[in-house]
Amino acid sequence: MNRKSTKTIFTLMLMSSMLIAGCGGNNNNAANNTTSNNTGNTPAASNAAADDTALDTSPFTISFFGGDASPNWNKMQDEVGKAITEKTGVTIEAEFDVGSGGGDQKIPMMAASGDVPDLIFAKGNLSTLVDAGLIIDMTELIDKYAPNLKKVYGENMGRLKYSLDDQAIYQIPTNMGVGQQAFDATGGFEIQHRVLKELGYPEVKTLADYEKVLKDYVALHPETDGQPTIPLTLNADDWKIMITVTNPAFTTTGAPDDGEYYVDPETYEAQLHYKRPAEKEYFRWLNGMYAQGLLDKDTFVQKDDQYKAKVASGRVLGLISQEWEYSDGENALKAAGKDEYTYGHFPVTLSDEYKDHSFMQTGIDGYGLAITTAAKDPVRIIKWLDWMSSDEGQILRTWGIEGTHYTVNADGKREVLPEISDGLANDTANTQKKTGIGQYLIFGARYGDGVKDSTDNYYTTSFPDQIVASYSDAEKESLAGYKATTWKDLFPKEDEFPIKETGALYNLPVPTDGQYQVIYKKTQDIIRKRIPEAILSKPADFDKVYDAFLAELDKAGAQDMEKEFTELVKKRVTLWTGKTF
Amino acid sequence: MKALTENGVTANESVTPRPPAKRNSGFWKSVLQQKYLYLMSLPFVIWVFIFSYVPIWGWLMAFQNYKPAKTFGEQKWVGLDNFKELFHDERFYLVLRNTLSMSILGLIFGFVVPITFAIMLNELRGSIFKRTVQTVSYLPHFVSWVVVGGIVYKTLAIDGGIVNDLLMWLHITDEPIQFMAQGKYFWGILTASDIWKETGWGAIIYLAAITGIDKELYEAAKVDGAGRIKQAFNITLPGIRSTVMVLLIMNIGHLIGIGFEKQFQLQNNLVTDYSEVLDLYALKYGIQIMRFSYGTAISMFTSVVSVILLFAANGLMKKFTKESIM
Repeated sequence: MNRKSTKTIFTLMLMSSMLIAGCGGNNNNAANNTTSNNTGNTPAASNAAADDTALDTSPFTISFFGGDASPNWNKMQDEVGKAITEKTGVTIEAEFDVGSGGGDQKIPMMAASGDVPDLIFAKGNLSTLVDAGLIIDMTELIDKYAPNLKKVYGENMGRLKYSLDDQAIYQIPTNMGVGQQAFDATGGFEIQHRVLKELGYPEVKTLADYEKVLKDYVALHPETDGQPTIPLTLNADDWKIMITVTNPAFTTTGAPDDGEYYVDPETYEAQLHYKRPAEKEYFRWLNGMYAQGLLDKDTFVQKDDQYKAKVASGRVLGLISQEWEYSDGENALKAAGKDEYTYGHFPVTLSDEYKDHSFMQTGIDGYGLAITTAAKDPVRIIKWLDWMSSDEGQILRTWGIEGTHYTVNADGKREVLPEISDGLANDTANTQKKTGIGQYLIFGARYGDGVKDSTDNYYTTSFPDQIVASYSDAEKESLAGYKATTWKDLFPKEDEFPIKETGALYNLPVPTDGQYQVIYKKTQDIIRKRIPEAILSKPADFDKVYDAFLAELDKAGAQDMEKEFTELVKKRVTLWTGKTF
Repeated sequence: MKALTENGVTANESVTPRPPAKRNSGFWKSVLQQKYLYLMSLPFVIWVFIFSYVPIWGWLMAFQNYKPAKTFGEQKWVGLDNFKELFHDERFYLVLRNTLSMSILGLIFGFVVPITFAIMLNELRGSIFKRTVQTVSYLPHFVSWVVVGGIVYKTLAIDGGIVNDLLMWLHITDEPIQFMAQGKYFWGILTASDIWKETGWGAIIYLAAITGIDKELYEAAKVDGAGRIKQAFNITLPGIRSTVMVLLIMNIGHLIGIGFEKQFQLQNNLVTDYSEVLDLYALKYGIQIMRFSYGTAISMFTSVVSVILLFAANGLMKKFTKESIM
């Protein structure tokens, strides 16, 4: 409740100030821009005398806004944070969006008022800021001052360009590691370990299998710790409806994640993914689950915190989500030692003919950091980011401090100290607050899991052995039941798919001007209203409701929007691969 | 200074000894006499000017295709395009319907309930009990809508919500009703929670007005044999009439601009067709997608309608009840 209320109060405060910002702010906004544009162009001159890559360690504060909540952020007073300040002189004055904000409320306001922090992790809202002229082009800065960034991105540098018409580098993607190999699956369909154990590790491949598992178990145990057992619940609050309700429609029907679209891999034609006939069958399945009472009746009414509280109570048998989405709830279970109530992951599909595309590689294409026109000294910032991206910086961010958080054994291998790995697994919040491990991942480029540094150690702390070591006993038992070492063993592998030429299309910058945004907003409104309606309708009415929903999308102009998106996809393919259309 | 003004005035009067000029002189005279009062109110006038009048300048945005990064001179003028689009959007009429329905419901119950409550409180004899009730009843006013939203959701929940438990226990329904998932209940739930939250607070002003009524009137009525109910209808209600009228006119002015805090807290995806109000619409289709001009057009529309409503209400009241605020 507490966090939720802070979130909402905050949002409301912002919104109420918005009209003032929107109406009166244009004057100084324009002024801001002219002055700050100057700063953007002159840093090279002011720092020309300084050595190009030498690190200045005088105290320096960088203001920052992060589009994702970071509840364990400790204002850099944690051990890693202090080490960063000590080595570079930099302190980050950070503000993070609260709850499930995603920056959607704050960033448009920043764009309107021109009041931006120096550094911003804007997620999907970057184009808003770019169009408002608030983001500086980093191409030259990286070239001059950032050898480590260049090294990490390597041949991916071309992918950092913004678009075919504007080939500037506005952000460096930092929310994903370069060369990342996933060692473990964290998405798919989730089932509690107690369910798997009692039912003797049944095969879970299709929706029918999954349904049967939940149905059988709830029949055996209608109550959990004195409260009714909930076979399946989803989180439909705000944008999370995409994660747990609508995205699974394409994962179960063998399509990769392209946000709200399905893009034909041959012709690059985009359409809203709901229009695929197979997905209608997925929603029909959810409709059936609801009709049978297997899908929680509160699914479309509950708020984010109520959902997490349910997960934390241990009475939800199954989820259809991503680990990061429900981990707050699951961590509470771990802290309470109720490991049998935590979840395993399965690649469930509509039927045998489909393959889960979760591990299809997109190449480097993520959200990242952008420097704004408000930054007084972009050179210092880029140098700092470059240091953070150096081997030293990366290891500090992922492993922590030698001696305090990890040791190097006789073979020269880094090992996380047992109390730290135990703390991170079972008392995540407090350990992160104290050590700072995992709090600075987005502040700099990094290699992904499975990449080794010059000392033949992995850059990140998750490698196969580590992953297995962090499993609880209940989890190990379940995996043994499926003769697997990690959940990923159950999923189709990377090498079964070609690397996606189009990258992750949910990151594709879209026009912030004109009708595109209006249509997108309208279709989103329709989707978020009609999909729940279709799922809750009587099974006999499902077809009628779903077809009306598709017709409504087109009426709102979906086809124009799809056409525009197709053009953008084609442009990106041209930018990245040189193919022409 | 004083002499000068008086000279000027006399000169004026000698040329055109007409009432307007005289009123003018009277005005300046009273300004001079009450200069400290005027000085004291000056900060507030400036405050109102800065926060309420200066931003009106931003209305020009409604006629532009406003882009944040450009200066005023560089903006593209689009005439009435934003208004045309607004009046052609079906969604606009839907949210207008929701806004008006919820505010009219709020207006009716927001008057009847607190007034009744105030009169009932006034009739209570034991002063400790009376004070306790009053305090308890106005406390919810200080509770944030975020918390109220949580309480409403919990109360109406299907597993363990008190309302459903009660309905089932009384055998009014066999199955728990999913109140929050059905649009038809939304206006009612919203109005009811608003009343729960604001009744005590709203009653304070009426209680204050009631204490201003001359006690002798009650005594006279008692002598004439009027019971308590008769007293309430014939003395108390007419006694607070002017207060009620003033508040009513002001609230009618706010009919269309009811904010969106409560709707925002209580809504979910299933009921948006009933919960979305104008301000929320302006936020979603204006500011959130960078259409500041469109957002401005909507707020301009609400402001104009509010002013019209205010004057209409004032005019009607003046005509029929002789009570008005202007």
